[in-house]
Order: sequence, then structure tokens, then C-alpha cells
Amino acid sequence: MKTLIILAWRNIWRNKRRSFISIASVLFAVLFAISADSFERGSYELMIQNMVKFSTGYIQIQDVLYDEEPSIDNSMLYDDDLMGIIDEFEGRISYVVPRIQNFALAANENKTRGIVVMGIDPEKENQFNELSDNLTEGTFINKSDNEVMLSQGLAEIMNLGIGDTLILIGQGFQGVTASGMYPVKGIVKLSVPDLNNNTVYMPLKAAQWFYAAENRLSALIVMPQNPNHTSRIAEELNEKLDNEWYTALSWEYLLSDILRMMQMDRAGSQMIIYILYIVIGFGLFGTILTMMLERAKEFTMLIAIGMKRFQLAIVCIFESFFLSSVGAIIGIIATIPFVLYFNYNPIPLTGEMSNIIEDYGFEAVMPASAHPSIFVQQAVTIFVIALLIGLYPAYKAFRIKTVTE
Amino acid sequence: MSVIKTEKIVKIYNSKHLPVKALKGVDIEIEKGEFTAIVGPSGSGKTTLLNIIGGLDKPTEGKVFIDNEEITQLTDSKLIDFRLKNIGFVFQSYNLIPVLTAKENVSFIMLLQKKSQKEMDQRAEELLNEVGLSDKFNVRPNKLSGGQQQRVAVARALASRPKFILADEPTANLDTESAFNLLDIMARLNKEENITLIFSTHDQRVIERARRVITLVDGEVSSDEHFDR
Ligand SMILES: Nc1ncnc2c1ncn2[C@@H]1O[C@H](COP(=O)(O)OP(=O)(O)O)[C@@H](O)[C@H]1O
Ligand SMILES: [Mg+2]
Repeated sequence: MKTLIILAWRNIWRNKRRSFISIASVLFAVLFAISADSFERGSYELMIQNMVKFSTGYIQIQDVLYDEEPSIDNSMLYDDDLMGIIDEFEGRISYVVPRIQNFALAANENKTRGIVVMGIDPEKENQFNELSDNLTEGTFINKSDNEVMLSQGLAEIMNLGIGDTLILIGQGFQGVTASGMYPVKGIVKLSVPDLNNNTVYMPLKAAQWFYAAENRLSALIVMPQNPNHTSRIAEELNEKLDNEWYTALSWEYLLSDILRMMQMDRAGSQMIIYILYIVIGFGLFGTILTMMLERAKEFTMLIAIGMKRFQLAIVCIFESFFLSSVGAIIGIIATIPFVLYFNYNPIPLTGEMSNIIEDYGFEAVMPASAHPSIFVQQAVTIFVIALLIGLYPAYKAFRIKTVTE
Repeated sequence: MSVIKTEKIVKIYNSKHLPVKALKGVDIEIEKGEFTAIVGPSGSGKTTLLNIIGGLDKPTEGKVFIDNEEITQLTDSKLIDFRLKNIGFVFQSYNLIPVLTAKENVSFIMLLQKKSQKEMDQRAEELLNEVGLSDKFNVRPNKLSGGQQQRVAVARALASRPKFILADEPTANLDTESAFNLLDIMARLNKEENITLIFSTHDQRVIERARRVITLVDGEVSSDEHFDR
């Protein structure tokens, strides 16, 4: 066995150029595949992170009907039982963000406009998405205030400033008429244009009062201590919640439409990676075919003098194992600094794409994901491809004839 | 008792258009210690015959016995083992493993036979000395002349302690001096160590070294002469 390995080892050095080319093709394949996958997943992860962080949260507890029909009538009761259940997760849930929201009409002396009233717990909301950073005028609302904050676009449209009064008319819980007058306390700029033109923030208590929905919420956002435990916590929540009324939904569910879109988008670049696999595969196969042509006589001689076919096969397998693994390992090592660099210094996007992304309030950048699984997955895939192709000489070892025909 | 005995060997190559009858019923018997040349013009069937005797190819008809064992019956993997244990080969070219040194090439065959490291080293050196390459132990084939390479091949063939050595045109690629030198070594090994040697050639110069000359013409034995030398 030792000699077979020595033999393989020397064969590798025998044609340095060819070994170098083989290693280099594996190396570049690994490098390219990891980078491509890494940017792909990087932007995907960033997008999800943004959505989860600023919009849905990791988990939402809702009324079972709310997801189908998000109306105030399908709001849920935020009572001691529910709080008790949340308390049971002490240490695993870091905080919860209550929200109640519904449509209403906003009016001043000469204008009305359909808007969304977001009833929030100012402190929790701020902890969740740092809303107060977006304050452009006035002051941030307090828990017990009976005042509102307007999104900046809406304030402009309605021509309202700090201290002015906003009139709200709407429909509350179970058809009750809702109306009220609220002084404007602050103005916040929201980055999503749609939201910026249509949002009124009101302290939770005041909003519940306005909608005649005391102790009721549209959703309770649950932030796990460790985001990796999201699905487990969601599951356990569902076990404990009264499933007649409540359901805990994880971000995967809440964002499922967007996720599906992203998956489809990913398919395109996966295609490029597959093409790369094929190109590299054929390249390696070509190298191996030339090598086999050169060594056919030697193989014949070895079998003729009494070398067993499997012994010859072992030599061949070791050779391609060595070339493939060295290529894959150097490939990984070479890619790490590259990926890490672009992980910390995402590539800024330009053009239309960047405008769209910025409209959603996200930074228009493409970071590289440095998730170890990308390295392992791509390197292993290419290693396996290279190895499989490298099995061809071993296969030949079992077929080669002792007389030339 | 003969080391090699063939019975009515017929070999027909089924090449694409018309079948070629390369051997037309060859009966030969070779005794231990003989030094035999198979001679004949190109295309007369020398290589075909040696390949069949060496278990590298199978006859279309007929049988080959080595020490009374019929090898024409053996499977591919049994044959590989049989060759390793019983037959030493010297080919016209591509004899040596390019990445191994002369000594390693000679040891290689013993390694396949699972001999001890000590025995391998000792015997490889001994044999290389015998073929006059005591200063080339650690040289790789590409640094050796054609004649030197063939001598390493002879040493390698001897290393396995085979029943006989088959050499198909071992001098075909050599200059006259190297050719004589190689044949002298083979003749000496035959005389002094009683090694059974069979080589093929169409080169008149080296035929004279053999003590038995079997002539093939068109796949048939046309003459079989013994010489005392
Ligand atoms: N693999 C083969 N396929 C078809 N014909 C062959 C093959 N090998 C040899 N022959 C034919 O068989 C005959 C004998 O060939 P060979 O044994 O090589 O002769 P020699 O070694 O004496 O030159 C020749 O006519 C040759 O063309
Ligand atoms: Mg020939």
C-alpha cells in the first residue's frame, strides 16, 4: 500500500504542468463557485434580515384568522394568559412588541386621506426597529400620550405640523364607529414610500381606545434571544397557546411569498454554477484523457508483469484524490479572505436595482455571505466532481488489455 | 519435463475486414535451462506466440502448459497472479516505471510478490550488479540509455525468480554494441545460473547467441535447431 501511494505521489510530480493545471482548474472552480454562491446568499440573507428586523420580526403571535383576513375584527386578546405563556419563555424570548393596526380616514379642514393607524408601544417598537432615529421633527410619543406621530410624507400631504390637530375617523372592533382628534407630537421619515405617505403612529393604549379594542392586538412580535431558535420557539409557543384563538407564525411563514420569489431568483445563478461545474468537469476530463493516452503503454506493462488491477486502480484513485483535494483545499483557503473582505465591505449596488432597494429603506449593497456551509458545500461538490472524473483511469485499470490491438 | 509446452496453437485475429491467421498450429516444447531464440520475418507471428506463452493473450485454439499447468484455462486475475509468480518479461520498450529508480523498478516486482524489504534491497542490488549497473541504482529510466534500460528490465524480470524469461525483440531499439552487450548478459545468466530464456528477434546479429533457434514463417514453425555454444 505504501508503495502504491509513493508511486501515485511520484506520478503527480512527474508531469508538473499537468498536475498544476488539474489543481488550478479545481481551485478556480471552487473559488468561483464559492464566490458566486456567497454573494447570492449574502444579498438574500441581508434582504431577509432587513425584512425580519424592520417589519415582521422573527415570530408573530396572531389571531388564527388574522393572516387570512387582517382586520381589526380578527385582532386577538392580549391578556394575562398570553403574557403568562410569554413569561414561561423567560431567558429565551428577549422581548415582545405589541401592535394594533387598522385603516382609518385622516382629515383636516380641507382634506381626507385613507391611512393606517399603527398602535405601538413606543419603547418596544423603538427597541425593535429604532424608529426614533427617523424622527425629523417634534418628539417621540410616550406610552401614555394621547397624541400621534405622522409619517413625514403624510404630514406634508395633509399639511400638518407639530402641534396641529389630526382628525381620525374609522371603524373599530366589531363595527363600532371610531373617531377622535389628536395633536401631532412628532414626525418620522419612513423609508418605504408607501408607508411614509400613510402611517400614523399612536400609543398602543390610545389606539386600542380609538378602535374600541381594549387589550386587543393585531399581532405580538416575539423576538427570540437567539434567532437560530426561532422555529423551535414558534413550535413550543403553538403547543402552549390556545389554538382555538392563537397561532405563532415564524418569519419563514410570514415572508413565504418573498422567500419563494428569492428562491426563483436564485435558480438563475445556480444555473451558472452548474454550467461552471460542467465546464470544469470537461476540462479535467480532457486532461485525464491525454494523461491516459500517454500512460496506456505503462498501464499495459504493469498489468503484464503482474500488478493487480485493483492495485493500479488504487494508484489512479490516489492521484486524482490528491489533485482534487489539494485544489479544493487551496480553493477554500484562497476564497476565505476574498469572501470575508466582501462580507465586511459589501459591494455597493448601482442603477435601477439600487433605487428599488433603497426605496424599501435598505442599504443597496451586495454583501458576501461567509456562512461556512457555502465553503463546504461548494468545495465538496467540486471535489466530488473532480474525483468522479478522476475515477476514469481507475476504471480503465480494470479494462486495459495486456496485448495491444 | 518441459517448462513450456504448446499444443497446436492457432491464433486468428478478427480484424475488421478479413480474419488474420497469425499462428497456424504451433507445437513447441522448451526445457529448463534452454536459451531459445524465436526468429522470423516481421509479421511471422513471434509476438503473438510469446504473448500466448506468457499468458498475455489467449489462443483461438490449442493449449499452453507451463510446468504441466494449463494456463489457457485461467481467468484474467488468476493469469495476472500466474505471470507474477512464474514469468519474467522484457518488452521491446516501455519496460520500466518512469517514476521509479532502477533499483525501485527491480524491487517493484518483488514488492508485488510481498517480499521483505531486506530481501528486496539485497536482491535488487545484486541483480543490478550482475547486469553491470552497479552505479545506477538511484537513477530514473529517463536518465538511462536504451541499453541500460533493457538491462534493468532483465534484472527486474529475474527478480521475481520466474520459471523462465520472455523477451520480445529486446534489442530492437538498441545500437549494435548495446544489443550484443544485452545478449551477452542474457547468455551468461543462462549459462551460469541456468536461467531459461526465450527471446524473439529478426535481427541476424543476435541470433547467434542463442543455443536453440526456432524459426517461424507465416505462423508456422519452419525449423528448430540446437547449437552447442
Ligand atoms: N491485434 C492484432 N489484430 C489483428 N492482426 C494482428 C494483431 N496483432 C498481430 N496481427 C497480425 O498477426 C500477424 C503476426 O503478427 P505478430 O505476432 O506481431 O508478428 P511479429 O511479432 O513476428 O512481427 C501479422 O500479420 C499481424 O499483422
Ligand atoms: Mg513482434
